[in-house]
Amino acid sequence: MSWWHRLFHRTQYEEQLEKELRHHLDLHTSELSAQGYSPEEARRQAHLALGGPEQVKEMCREARGTRWLEELLQDLRIGVRTLRKNPGFTLVVAVTLALGIGANTAIFGLVNTLLLRPLPVVKAPSELVLLVRGDGQGPTLSYPDFKVLRERNEVLTDLALYTQAPISFGNRVRSEVVLGAMVSGNYFDVLGINPSLGRAFLPEEDRTPGTHAVVVLSNSFWQTRFNSDRTLVGRTIVLNSQQFTVVGIAPAGFDGETPPMKVSLWIPVMMTATMRWEPGATRHDPLSNRQDENFGAIGRLKQGVSITHAQAALETINRQIEQSNPLPPEQVSNPNNDRSLRLLSPRGIMIGPIMEMAVTSSRLAWATVLTVLLIACANVANLLMARAATRRKEVAVRLALGATRGRLIRQLLTESVLLALVGATAGLFLAYWINQLLMAFKPPFPPPFTFTLDLSFDIRTFAFTLLLAISTGVIFGLVPALQASKPDVVPALKDESNAEGARLRWLNWRNALVITQVALSLALLISTGLFLRTLRYAQRVDLGFKPDHVLSASFNLRLQHYNETQGREFYQQMVERLERTPGVQTASVTNLLPLGFIWLTTPVAPEDREVPPNERVFAGSVSAGSQYFETIGTPLLRGRDFNAQDTIKSPNVAIVSEKLARRLWPEIKDAGEALSKRLRVGRGDATSCEVIGVAKDSRNNIFNRLDREPEPTIYRPFAQNYSALASVIVRTDGDPRGLTSAVRREVAALDENLPPQNLQPLSETVSLASWSARTGATVLGVFGLLGLVLAAIGIYGVMSYSVSRRTREIGLRMALGAETRDVIKLIVKHGMGLTLIGAVIGLMLAVALTRLLTSLLYGVTATDPATFAGVVLFVIVVAVLACYLPARRATKVDPMRALRCE
Amino acid sequence: MKPKSDLPQGTLDLLILKVVALGPIHGYAVAQRLEQVSRGVVQVPQGSLYPALHRLENRGLLAADWKFTETGREAKFYRVTRKGQTQLETEAASWQRLTQAVSLILKMSEGGAG
Repeated sequence: MSWWHRLFHRTQYEEQLEKELRHHLDLHTSELSAQGYSPEEARRQAHLALGGPEQVKEMCREARGTRWLEELLQDLRIGVRTLRKNPGFTLVVAVTLALGIGANTAIFGLVNTLLLRPLPVVKAPSELVLLVRGDGQGPTLSYPDFKVLRERNEVLTDLALYTQAPISFGNRVRSEVVLGAMVSGNYFDVLGINPSLGRAFLPEEDRTPGTHAVVVLSNSFWQTRFNSDRTLVGRTIVLNSQQFTVVGIAPAGFDGETPPMKVSLWIPVMMTATMRWEPGATRHDPLSNRQDENFGAIGRLKQGVSITHAQAALETINRQIEQSNPLPPEQVSNPNNDRSLRLLSPRGIMIGPIMEMAVTSSRLAWATVLTVLLIACANVANLLMARAATRRKEVAVRLALGATRGRLIRQLLTESVLLALVGATAGLFLAYWINQLLMAFKPPFPPPFTFTLDLSFDIRTFAFTLLLAISTGVIFGLVPALQASKPDVVPALKDESNAEGARLRWLNWRNALVITQVALSLALLISTGLFLRTLRYAQRVDLGFKPDHVLSASFNLRLQHYNETQGREFYQQMVERLERTPGVQTASVTNLLPLGFIWLTTPVAPEDREVPPNERVFAGSVSAGSQYFETIGTPLLRGRDFNAQDTIKSPNVAIVSEKLARRLWPEIKDAGEALSKRLRVGRGDATSCEVIGVAKDSRNNIFNRLDREPEPTIYRPFAQNYSALASVIVRTDGDPRGLTSAVRREVAALDENLPPQNLQPLSETVSLASWSARTGATVLGVFGLLGLVLAAIGIYGVMSYSVSRRTREIGLRMALGAETRDVIKLIVKHGMGLTLIGAVIGLMLAVALTRLLTSLLYGVTATDPATFAGVVLFVIVVAVLACYLPARRATKVDPMRALRCE
Repeated sequence: MKPKSDLPQGTLDLLILKVVALGPIHGYAVAQRLEQVSRGVVQVPQGSLYPALHRLENRGLLAADWKFTETGREAKFYRVTRKGQTQLETEAASWQRLTQAVSLILKMSEGGAG
């Protein structure tokens, strides 16, 4: 019989126990009767021999080993009864805890999704490992290296390869760009995924380049684009202007090996050349070139092989590859030249830079919500202690009746855990709601990089919440329970509830809790303040360009197999057509959108002096069409904008940013002196250009680097530095969104199969740059204010309690002539003392805490005096208000009644 | 009344196991049997008999069934489980060893005194 079983058959057990003992007594009695005792005497003797039946029963129950559970049930019953008797108290505590626990559950949900959750759908996700090189920022293997690693290793059952790329998908109605993946033929086998319809790739589809145009679609892509049409398998669809046969549909919920990026379709890696490069460009065959390190690999550990062991084994092979066939140093794509292999367990989200951001921000968010929970706990502990004072008599009765202190503490703790569970239940609902809100803050990545976070609760979330509730209950319940169960029976029974009230110890638990609350909420609010300042800076910073009133549309002409001539033609016509569109002031084209997703750098050297290779300047490399500077809104300090005369046949020219000019020619005093100088740009056979203009520095580099100083930048005419991947930009005088349909129309007029990407105002692309500050300010702001409200309630509660305790003293003072003002001063002084101590501790805490934030802040130091001072003032004002209300009530005390009431 | 010996710690369980091992038996009979067999030397406090029975049942050394006695009353009959049998054998063996050792020591000290 399990204890569980025994517990639930308690009634049956009790009956049987009763029956067994009665049987014993009856037999003994009749035996004694037979020996000549009178029936009454016989029964008495039998009882005496056995001992008190209740004691025997109790010992039997104890022997059964379920006593602790029975006591727990009893405690729970008492707890429920007590809570139901005080609905107001229960409600206040439950709401407070719901706020604290709910916030934690919500953030845990986020952490769970970002960092912990294993890959969905795949078989035995704990055996899977991702292979990355160096710092793991993005895919880092070449196809030849992959083949060697796959064949030589003895630690993996198999290794699969993948690389993601935007792919254009046309379905006659409208074409669009989706995220696709090129994978090795064993990809689905390694992951242990069976297509829900059709099949995965066949071995022959993984052998010869360019021969098998087959595709497996993701379930959601199949659902949304083909309406879950089951007859699609076997038919063809058009990808990058090429016919592909659909052979299978992946099971629902599987969107690739690197969530949160959603992959919509999978193509054999043998098709890579035709998907990613212009036809005929065999020089760049991605399957034979060791320098094309655009692949990632995912493998499955053999039974019993640890991840460290596998990493060591694979790294040995990796070193052999590196030694036998080293890459030329300038071809090594990884800047810090770390070529070692590492294995990662695919959990949460797997994209290097985003993960870094996610780790920092979730650590921060967690610190925040834990602080809120601590404040909430302090509040509840305070309430419980105030109530313990009124329950002293009850406790004393129990102690007098023989309850042990330990038993009593256990009972009080059961009650507080019960409270925490009620709070946690409400907190779950709150967490669901908070998560909905958090979803609104997901980083605004442009399509096709659809970013989906599944924040739904799983078993882990519930387990976390339960654990949190129980530990919370113990944390806030322990001190009050210890206090309440102090065995000072006699004064309590005598109803001397005010005996100690006259001498309020100054540094008691209650005051300590208020101090803690003030300190914690102050620290939170200071963090909020710093984020708000960052946000303001982000809004006011001189970007060096004017994103308002600009609409952008990006194109990847490689996807549509345009050659260079066709591409130049397309962009030129596109700009000309847009310039003629009503409402357009100027239009231009560029390879890089400012503060966008991509940033390119290139070495630049002055021609008039020798520069050692390690001192070459790396500058951002922008290709810009005619009137680029006018359209993007970057002022030219000297010289001219690009124009129609800058063609592929005219002399090579360049515009440099002021910073680049000063780096190349440190001796110049005025930026204008750079004009007509010559420079060399690019690796290997560098191009020689004449400087025709100097532009103001612009913060146009990659999206999450708004805090960095503007990087030196070189601008070259689009005609002289063509890029198949480029964006058309349009400046208008009104709302740029108004031009969206016009742009679509003009694109369709040129090529109806070409999908424009990123068709959005430039300000939205730029908003990605201030995303972390905006999110940080909002999340911390909400929780910081929540913390402050809780702290204010705490101060209010403590002050009210102390006023009620000091009624007699106040009455006496007023009878002796104290005025309203004096009484208010008395109370507020007490509250202020606590607040100030809390503020000092909070400031120290904030200095330590804001160090964590440094990487997320810009335009403001982590110890910004204005923010610190402002927040302290704010907290003091709130505290004064929280003290004032109880103080006002104290002045309403009628001296006569106060003195008589004892 | 002749003097009764207190039971050494832990021996009650062993005695109960032994008595029950002779055949299914109810609680009162266990008490009687213990007293009879030990010729009144060992008296089990009845109050601690039942907790011991329940403890042994809980540990899976005893099992119990409700059966009718000769007088037609329903009673809880205990019997020894296989696990209980093994336990009884090891405990009995170690008890034998212990008592032999103890009596050896006692004899030796008698010799030393004489």
